[in-house]
Amino acid sequence: MIRYFRKSIVFGTTVGVVGVALLVGLLFKLVAANFTAEQAEQDVVTHLNELVNTIESTASVACFAKDAQLAKEVVNGVIKNVAIARVVIISDGQELARAERPSQVAGIRTALQPVQRKLVSPFDPNQTIGEIRIEPNHENVDQGIAEQIRFVSVLLAVQLAVIAVAVMGIMYRMVVRPIKAMSDGLHRMDATTGQQLPIPARHAHNELGRLAGDINALAGRLVAALFEEHALRLEREMDERKYRGIFDNADSGIFVADGRGCLQSWNRSFARLSGMPDTAAAPCLADMPWQAPEQLAALIEACLAANAGQAADLELLPAGQRTSTWLHIALSPIGVDTVQGIVSDVTDRKQAEDSAREMAVTDPLTGLGNRLGLEQRLLARMRSSDAFSLMLIDLDGFKQINDAMGFPVGDKVLAMAASRLASGIKSSDWLARTGGDEFAIVLPGLASQETAASIGGRLLGTLAHPFDIADMPTILGASIGIGFFPGDGHDLPTLLRNVELALDRARAGGGNCFEFFDSAMVKAATQRRQLEADMRQGIQRDEFRLFFQPIVDLASHRTLGAEALIRWQHPEHGLVPPDSFIPLAEETGFIRELGLWVVDEACRQLASWHGAGHALYLSVNVSTRQIPDALSLAILLAATTRHGIPPGALALEITEGALMGDMAKALAWLQDVRAAGFRTYLDDFGTGYSSLSYLKRFPMDTVKIDKSFVREMGEDGSDRALVEAIIAMARSLGLKVVAEGVETAAQLALLRGMGCGMGQGYHFSKPVPAADFLSVRDRIDATGW
Amino acid sequence: MTPRRRLLSLLAGLLLAEPARADLVVIAHPRAGVDQLTREQVVNIFLGRFRQFPSGIAAEPIDLPPDTAEKAAFYQKLVGKELAEINAYWARLVFSGRTQPPRQASGATHMVELVAGTPGAIGYVERPKGESKVKIVFELEAAR
Repeated sequence: MIRYFRKSIVFGTTVGVVGVALLVGLLFKLVAANFTAEQAEQDVVTHLNELVNTIESTASVACFAKDAQLAKEVVNGVIKNVAIARVVIISDGQELARAERPSQVAGIRTALQPVQRKLVSPFDPNQTIGEIRIEPNHENVDQGIAEQIRFVSVLLAVQLAVIAVAVMGIMYRMVVRPIKAMSDGLHRMDATTGQQLPIPARHAHNELGRLAGDINALAGRLVAALFEEHALRLEREMDERKYRGIFDNADSGIFVADGRGCLQSWNRSFARLSGMPDTAAAPCLADMPWQAPEQLAALIEACLAANAGQAADLELLPAGQRTSTWLHIALSPIGVDTVQGIVSDVTDRKQAEDSAREMAVTDPLTGLGNRLGLEQRLLARMRSSDAFSLMLIDLDGFKQINDAMGFPVGDKVLAMAASRLASGIKSSDWLARTGGDEFAIVLPGLASQETAASIGGRLLGTLAHPFDIADMPTILGASIGIGFFPGDGHDLPTLLRNVELALDRARAGGGNCFEFFDSAMVKAATQRRQLEADMRQGIQRDEFRLFFQPIVDLASHRTLGAEALIRWQHPEHGLVPPDSFIPLAEETGFIRELGLWVVDEACRQLASWHGAGHALYLSVNVSTRQIPDALSLAILLAATTRHGIPPGALALEITEGALMGDMAKALAWLQDVRAAGFRTYLDDFGTGYSSLSYLKRFPMDTVKIDKSFVREMGEDGSDRALVEAIIAMARSLGLKVVAEGVETAAQLALLRGMGCGMGQGYHFSKPVPAADFLSVRDRIDATGW
Repeated sequence: MTPRRRLLSLLAGLLLAEPARADLVVIAHPRAGVDQLTREQVVNIFLGRFRQFPSGIAAEPIDLPPDTAEKAAFYQKLVGKELAEINAYWARLVFSGRTQPPRQASGATHMVELVAGTPGAIGYVERPKGESKVKIVFELEAAR
């Protein structure tokens, strides 16, 4: 009861009020004591002064008359006053009378000064005749002060007591009792039956009344929420029963787990997928035989941290099994530190994906990596920044084999080449087939040119052995371009391009060799690009010219026509010889455009000569790239028609090589143009692979004997025999013969002696511009050389 | 005193005061040993402070009877006090019993006789016309 009272509002408030009042009272008492003392002292001084006023005139008479008796009377009368301790009258420096009160108490507190006053003559206010001095009775003064303070203190104490009692009473009546009543009411109240807390009487409109109202409102809301919750729970129970069946019988594994991956519930499918023993009391996902358990932990963590669904494929490798299972796990957060997961077996899809990914980077024929695989491998290597060497290998002459023997044979050759290359490198090196007859080798850690050269040589050696195909040994060469990372290119495109350049160089060097990349190749490539751009511009700016070298009938000494030879009048480099730009034009395909221009220009020139009455013909060189579409029969006929010349005035010169590419097409084209009336020349005869049987197979009018044979004819008996044989054979096949490169009169005489029909060469004339041609012809016709 | 008596005395006073206002002198016995006194010395002697001449001879002041115009004029001129005040002064001293007020002559003539006939006596009269047996030691001017 007492403890309860100590915690009560009444007690607390009272203690507070009394405490504050005591504090204030104490302060007040201090101030009042000072003030009271001062006031009392002031009163004493006033009192003494009044007393002096009363006795002053009598004292001055006594002084004037020096009447000690009268003075004694005066001081005796004064000392009767208890406020006075001592009184003295002095006349002219001598004490006239004195009265004193015996002191009873030691330790006087107050320090009042005695009252002193000069006494003047009763008859002359200017004449001082003495002095009266009255000392106050300090004992008496202190007593008065103490009494007054005591009184004030008692008054204050009474006041405090009354206030404390009043506060307790008011607090009890106004606050405690109504709160107690409300508390009792709350204890009795049952809000769910709609009971309300009664509002305390007489407090309906104050804070307590409002509090009671608020409590009732809160109770109402709580009850409403309770009912709602109850309804929801019922609903949920229904739902749960409904979904339980789905959960139990679902094909997918379903589980609920906490943040550490420990399962709270799971269905049969999950147990089956995870291979979890039924006996496990509270199994954790982490205990399952994952390939990388940390992935699962990270997945759960990410799901909870983002409060969003997460999914991943995880690999499960049960103990004692060789094949792993892939599970797709989709997690979604469901409340605090809990996730729900749906699990399905994606092993088949995963394997399909893996094999598809594998296939994307694999060459199916050889089982090696393909170009994409090579690029991926190179990028990975470059990321690790370790030095390595890259070799690009191109099989020389493979296309011909493929063309000649068909794809199955070609594929066999490729497979054999691949296995030979694989046997020539270390197991840490990596071989890929990047194109039709192109291979690449990545050699990690290889940075020395010497070592690379020895490997390159070894590889060339293995490929140089004959390939035994269809019981027919076939010899292939190879070209190898070699580059180093990072020296020959920091990034993939640069390195690949540079090694390609090295490969191009090796190929251009005739094959069966390897070349290291060097920066000059980049420069050369740049120059080639510039040259190509210049050529394309050159044709627009009309920088190309046709020069004409006479073709002379050796029997009649008459000029029959000429070979049209292209020259390029470059604005910076001057006259560029054709072997500087024709190979590039062939390579880039620009030869098609250039060839059209040549035919058109030749026709124009023929028309001009024919118009002037000169019955000449012209032969133009046709590249393999122009056959059959770029210089089709329709295009040729359009040109001759446009310029109004007969097709027979134009001869088309084709090299043996041009016929080798796609023989069927070349043959058809030749037959077409020849049937239309154009003449066909076989150029540079004797230099290529062509066999004499070609002469029979291809519809040709004329054979041009290569100038190398003609040049060697004088010294070498075999060449002379060869030329003689060609002439004889041509004659027997009904073909005409033009001997190229006739430079001396001796050669001319020899050829004539052999019965060669026509000749061409510096002995007659070098190639000359159109403007000079007619005068050259006239000279030849007139002089015979 | 009835109002009539007061009126009478006032009239009498007016009549008698006329010659008194003319001149009052302090006289002493010729052998008192002083020729001249200061006002202060006169005051001291008449009001009982020092009853002694500067010469050392004891002084005996002689006063006129109360209710005389000369007496009133004398004290008025000497210390500027009314007779009632002088009487009150003496009443206090007489009460203690140590000092007595001056001896009293019956009139001006008696005053002169007493002064002439008593060594050390000192009194005050209107200025005498001719020769006299007393010595004038102080001349009272108009009141201060």
